[in-house]
Formats: sequence, structure tokens, C-alpha cells
Amino acid sequence: METELREVRDFLAAHAPFEGLPGRALDRLPAQLTMRYFRRGSTLISVGEANDTVYVLRSGAVDITDASGVLVERSAEGTTVGTSNILRGGRSQHDVRAIEDTLALAMSGDDFRELVREHPDLHRFFVELLASRLRAAVQSQQRTDQGGAILKTRVGELISREPITIAVTATIREAAELMAAERVSSLLVTGLDKAGAGAGAVGQGGEGAIGILTDKDLRSRVLAVGRDPGDPVAEVMTSDPVTVGPDTMAFEVLMEMVAKSIHHMPVVRPDGRPLGLVTGTDLIRLEHASPVYLVSDIRKQTSVAGLAELGRRLPRLVEQLVSQDATADDIGRVVTAVGDAVERRLLELAEAELGAPPVPYCWVVFGSRGRLEQGLSSDQDNALLISDEMQPEHEEWFARLAEWVVDALERCGYARCPGDIMATNPRWRQPISQWRREFGTWLRQPEPDAILNATIFFDMRPVHGDASLEQDLHRWVLAQTPHSKAFLAHMVRSAVDHEPPLGFFRGFVLQKEGEHKDTLDLKIGGVGAVVELARVHALAHGLAPVNTQARIEAVADAGVMSRDRAADLRDAFEFISYVRLRHQARQVSAGQQPDNFVAPTELSDFERRHLRDAFQVVRSAQSTLGAVSGSAL
Amino acid sequence: MGRFGAEGRRKRYAMRLPDGPLRSFLTTPPPDPATPVDELPLLAVDFETTGLRPGQDRLLSIGFVPLEGRSIVLGGARQLLIRVDGAVGQSATVHGLTDDRLAEGEQLVDAVDELLTALRGRVLLAHYSDIEEGFLSAACERLHGAPAPACAVDTLQLQRRVLGHGWDELKGSQLRLWNARARYGLPRYRAHEALTDALACAELYLAQAEELGATTLRDLQR
Repeated sequence: METELREVRDFLAAHAPFEGLPGRALDRLPAQLTMRYFRRGSTLISVGEANDTVYVLRSGAVDITDASGVLVERSAEGTTVGTSNILRGGRSQHDVRAIEDTLALAMSGDDFRELVREHPDLHRFFVELLASRLRAAVQSQQRTDQGGAILKTRVGELISREPITIAVTATIREAAELMAAERVSSLLVTGLDKAGAGAGAVGQGGEGAIGILTDKDLRSRVLAVGRDPGDPVAEVMTSDPVTVGPDTMAFEVLMEMVAKSIHHMPVVRPDGRPLGLVTGTDLIRLEHASPVYLVSDIRKQTSVAGLAELGRRLPRLVEQLVSQDATADDIGRVVTAVGDAVERRLLELAEAELGAPPVPYCWVVFGSRGRLEQGLSSDQDNALLISDEMQPEHEEWFARLAEWVVDALERCGYARCPGDIMATNPRWRQPISQWRREFGTWLRQPEPDAILNATIFFDMRPVHGDASLEQDLHRWVLAQTPHSKAFLAHMVRSAVDHEPPLGFFRGFVLQKEGEHKDTLDLKIGGVGAVVELARVHALAHGLAPVNTQARIEAVADAGVMSRDRAADLRDAFEFISYVRLRHQARQVSAGQQPDNFVAPTELSDFERRHLRDAFQVVRSAQSTLGAVSGSAL
Repeated sequence: MGRFGAEGRRKRYAMRLPDGPLRSFLTTPPPDPATPVDELPLLAVDFETTGLRPGQDRLLSIGFVPLEGRSIVLGGARQLLIRVDGAVGQSATVHGLTDDRLAEGEQLVDAVDELLTALRGRVLLAHYSDIEEGFLSAACERLHGAPAPACAVDTLQLQRRVLGHGWDELKGSQLRLWNARARYGLPRYRAHEALTDALACAELYLAQAEELGATTLRDLQR
């Protein structure tokens, strides 16, 4: 068939969702369409109209407004409009008006229904709740369970030491002693002929493993059956163990081990000599190897300089996690865990230098670190909760501790808080009773500004010291918040104040009133808006979680928010956070200071489309909250 | 030009013809000048030729797409290549039709008859329609022994009215199809295929009819 109207076909093939259609379907599509022209200011679809035409904008642009005249979306070439009332049945809930001279491809409602019936992908694109689209987007961007290091690593790279071997003539006791001395959970058993010269039963890096002996064998084949430890090891070992070559992929080895229910796998060189042993734990840890190592390295440091050195590895680690498609939630937890480890280690070092604390205390963190959501651009937010046993003469010890730790944190790359919310500020280094007074003032505070500056204190988490001090205070605060109506009203106002943008329009960020901006702030109106929503809901119902995802879940568990709404909001939060992390990781690798401002041109089509959906979820949650705030929250 | 005179001429030509697409075309009256633009049936047509002289230069390709009122009916779009014996020479640099492609085309008579069938009862719409009208009549004269006078609307003439200047004051380039389209922000196409140009002309017409506020065929032919 001659491809007539190639221009129209190629145009459709370049725009979602038609781009996904098979070639033959695309070839047939133009013949079902008519082309119409709308002058600037004219109307394509009106509110209340039983619209039965779908329009694909070929050139020009339209504004979509709701019945009250509020701008919902502004769309340019390549966008499809008019589908919702056709698929849902009923009348249009929107006005679609040309804001430029517009040429549109029109398809009849019948043809459109037939098209989406034949192509479920198209149906999904148009019909399925925005939220499901968002969820699919989150999943397709992040395949945490696949694509990680385990798929890319060869098992030989995991071997860090020579295998510990023992000759087949050794006794069970000798084997157990060797395992204890070498702190290993398994031994390779080597043949007699090559087990080294004469007397020495214990060999190192021996050749030709003929068996393997594990902790489990000692348990079930020796102790449990009362066997004599003087018997030869050959009688209890597993003969001719399954082995793999060093080039085998880590995931294949893991699958093999799961299939055969074994926990230790000898890795053998092509010439038959054992290279080493891998355990199931080695393989599983591979997925998140680097943060684990980083945290354990941090614990071993004995100087601020050493910690500062390790702290510099964090941005690189985040970059790596982003490239491994970890979720924003996971990455936030990793960055937080590293920050916590540094802070704990510094407090230990400080205590070692200043002597034991005179009374119990708890070092707490606030804000994003408190919520386990720390990103790469966070500064310090910390404080000291001190036991009420504190006496005036103890103040100096805590002042010195705070000075020591805050200064060291700064050297480790955690900038000082510009708002001075740090333990070095005497106001944030108080006995518990004083903290209660502080929170009480906020809860009764008539001044909105004072409350807004205090919100991060409600995202508090203990890092070091006596955690029960923090837990008691937290519990006390949560018992007060549900009754603090004026306080909650201010929080609600703030939570609905920072509206996310409507979406994007030709490389600009489209704000509510149709205003264009050239950068998108992923914090205000994005991640920040969800954090505020989750916080105000949690505080209104006295719910303990501090992490945003956990708060949303708890709010749904409490029956305050529908399951669907909660799932949507969590997806929206994850997606916006993920885009922010990607952006920050790119900045770090380009040697720039990470920030929250993204140019729409930096985003892919996919990201723009799904950010728009995510923003819509946030806006809708905000408007629900705004509407109920007058009555009981 | 009185409609009655034109109608009479078409009937006279038709009488001499056997049954066939040209006779049907001639005996079917074109839309009345009072026909509302909202209902007007048109056929946007573009020819690719070896030159601009209807009697001598050859027709290489025909593209057309119908319009019903203010909608372009893409399902009716056609592009016809005409078999040419002998070389098209340098004109290939304009229309991109090489001798090889044209050798696969259809007979001139089949292509012209298909166009006549599509054009029956419709207004011929073209950008500088003299070319299409002239080549169509010349071809019919040669193939069937009678010309095919069409009722035409010319987007070049409409553009002149949109721009609101006399003939002499206008630079020719402002009137060219692709430049005229830019005024309305219409999409860019890979120009110079007969069907693409016909579609481009049809889109331009929709924009012009809106801008001029034309309500009947008569308003478009002033």
C-alpha cells in the first residue's frame, strides 16, 4: 500500500501514545481522521457538551479549564484532548479553547473507542487513573529487584581471600579448631596426595578440593549424632561439592545455591585449584554492598579527618545508587544512615575526649534527616535533649560536646544550619521539661510565622544517647497536637500554600495562573508539599511515624485517607523525589553544587508527563485537605 | 463570469462525449455560489509538472484531498503518479520525481479520470489554481476531446486579500504557499509532493476562510 499522508502518519508516530502503535495500525490511522482549524479564542469543546470528537493538536495550543474557569492544563502540538468524557461517558467537564491558531486532527468517538479497544496500551494511557499511570512510571523507572550489581558482577570478583583448606586425613576436631581460628563457616577439604608435605595436616590454598565442611555439618553430622571428634573429617564432609568457575555471573550462582539449598559455593579455577568460597550472604549483600562497607568503615574511624575523608565518598555513592536504579526512598535511607553513622561516631569520639556525660542525654536530628529522607543538599539540624536531672554545672559539658560535634560535622561536609537549629544554640540544648515548654508554646502560638519556622522540630529522631528521652518527649507532643486547633489550622494553610505547577508547556514550567517559569523547583510545591501534607495529617491524629511514606501509610491505616489516595500520594512522592535525586546526582558528577532547580529541557518526555501526573495528585490531596480543614481534620 | 454561461458551456461539452468520468463531471453542477462555507464540498488539488505551460509541459503527479465544509477528510486523500515515457529532465530537482519512479506510475488517462470522479460536484481548491485548471483542461482536451472547466477557489488570491494590498505592492514570496502558511503557524512539511502540497493548501484555506470571515462560496470567489 502506498503510504499516503505520510506527514500525518509520521506526526502521530512521534507523539504519545500513538508512538507505541504497531506500524500497520499507524498506517491506517490517518484515513480515519479529519483536519480542523480553530482560530485563536475559539472553542473546541465546552463544559457540559456531549463531546464525541477526540482532537490531536497538530499545531497551535489550547487551554483546558474546569467549570469554574480554573486553568487545568495548557497543551501544545502532539497532545490529545477530548478523550475523558468519551471513555467515561457523559458530558465534558472542561472547556478546551484555542489560545493560538490551532490545527487539529479530529477522530470520531466511535473510531476512538474502537482504537482503544484494539490497543490496550492506548486504553491504559487514556483511561486508567492517573495514579496507575504514575505507579507504572515509578516501576518502569526503577527496577530495584533487577538491574543491580548482582547482574553485572562475576563471582570471581567477590573472592577476597584464599580458601581455607584442610587435608582429608585431619580429624573433625582439627577442622573445627581451624574454622574457629580463621573465623570461617566452612573449609575446603583437599586430597591426600597434594595436601602438603607429611606432618602438616592443615594446608593453605591447597589443590583439588574433594569435599567441603560447613558449620552445619559440624552441628548435624557431629554434635547431634554424638560422633567422636577424633574421627577423620572425610567421614562428615560433603564429597565432590558443586563448584563454579570464577567467570560465572553472581546471579547465576545465587540461583544455583537457592535451587540446591546450599549456602557455601567453592569457586574453582579452570585448572581445578580452588580460588575461594562465596556465601549466599556475600551475593545478597552485593546489591547494597557499598553503603554497608561505608558505614562499617565509618565505625572504625578514630579521627575527624578520617571521617571527613569517608564523607566525601557519599556523593559518589548516591550517584552509583541512582545508576543502579535504587528507589528514592532507599537512597534517602542510605544517605541518612551514613549521616547517622558519622554523627554517632563523632559523638563517641567527643565523649572519649570530654569524659562520660554527667547526666543522660539524647542527640536528636530534625527535618529531612529526621524523616530518613536526607538528600545531597542538606545541612545540619540537630539538638540535645537532656535529662531533667541536669544541674547548672553540667551545662558546660554539653556546651563543649555540642561545639565539638557541630564543628566536626562541618568539617565532614555537613554545613552549619543557616537558621541556627543546632545543639550549639543554647535554646536547642535543654532539659526535657524545657523542651516541653518550647513545644507547648508552638502549639499555642497564634503567630503563623513562628509555627512555620518550628515545623522541622516535629520531624525529630534520636541518633545517639538515651533514646527514651526522645521517645517520651515525642509521645507527649503527639498527645497535644490533635487538640491544638489553631496550630493545625496554620499547618494546613502552609501545606496547601505551595501548589505544584500545572505541568510543562514548550520547555517552560506552567504555573496555576498560566504564568511560565523556566525552572522547576522540585522542593517547594513538590517533595516539600507532600512532606507537609503527611506531617499535618500525622500530627492531627497523633500518629508516631516521622518518615513521609510511613506517615502516609499510617494516615491510611487510621482510615483518615483512602487507600487509593494514600498509594497515589506515595507514588507521587517517590517519583518527584527520584527525579530530584537524578538531577542532583547529575550535578554532582558534573562537579556542581546539588540543588532543587531543574530546567524542563533537562527532563525526558516521560519524566515531564509523569511529573505532571504527580503534581496533579499532590494538588488534589492539597485541595481535599484545604476543604476539610474548616471542620474536623 | 455568469454561472449560467459557464453551466451552458459545460453542458455543450458534455453533449459531445460518451459516458465516462469527464461527462459525469461536466453534467454534475458545481456548488451554488450561495452554498455556506460550513457545508461547501471542495477538493484541494496539486499537480507536479515538468513546467508551467499546460499545452506543452507534462503532468507527472496528482495529489488531492477532499474537504467537507471546514473539515479536511484525510480518508479521501490520494496521490497518483503518472507513467512518463522519456526523461523528465531537470524538473526532477523541484518535484523529486525521478524517471525510475515515474516508470512505475499509471496511465495519464486513468489518473485524470480518477481526479475527475473525485472532483465531481466539488469546488477545485488550489494555490494559484490557474496551473491545475489549465493542465486538467489541456489533458482532458487531449484524452477526451473536451476541456474540463472547473469551479475553483484559489488560496493565492485569498492570501492577497488577507494581506490587504494591491497586486503590485506584494512581494511574490509572501504569497507562496509555504510562506502564506507561516502566518498561521501551520506545521512545516517536506514540501513538493503533490499530496503534501494539496494538504498544505487545504489547511491554509481553513485558516484563510476563518480570517476573512467568509460565509458562502461567493465570498471566496470575489
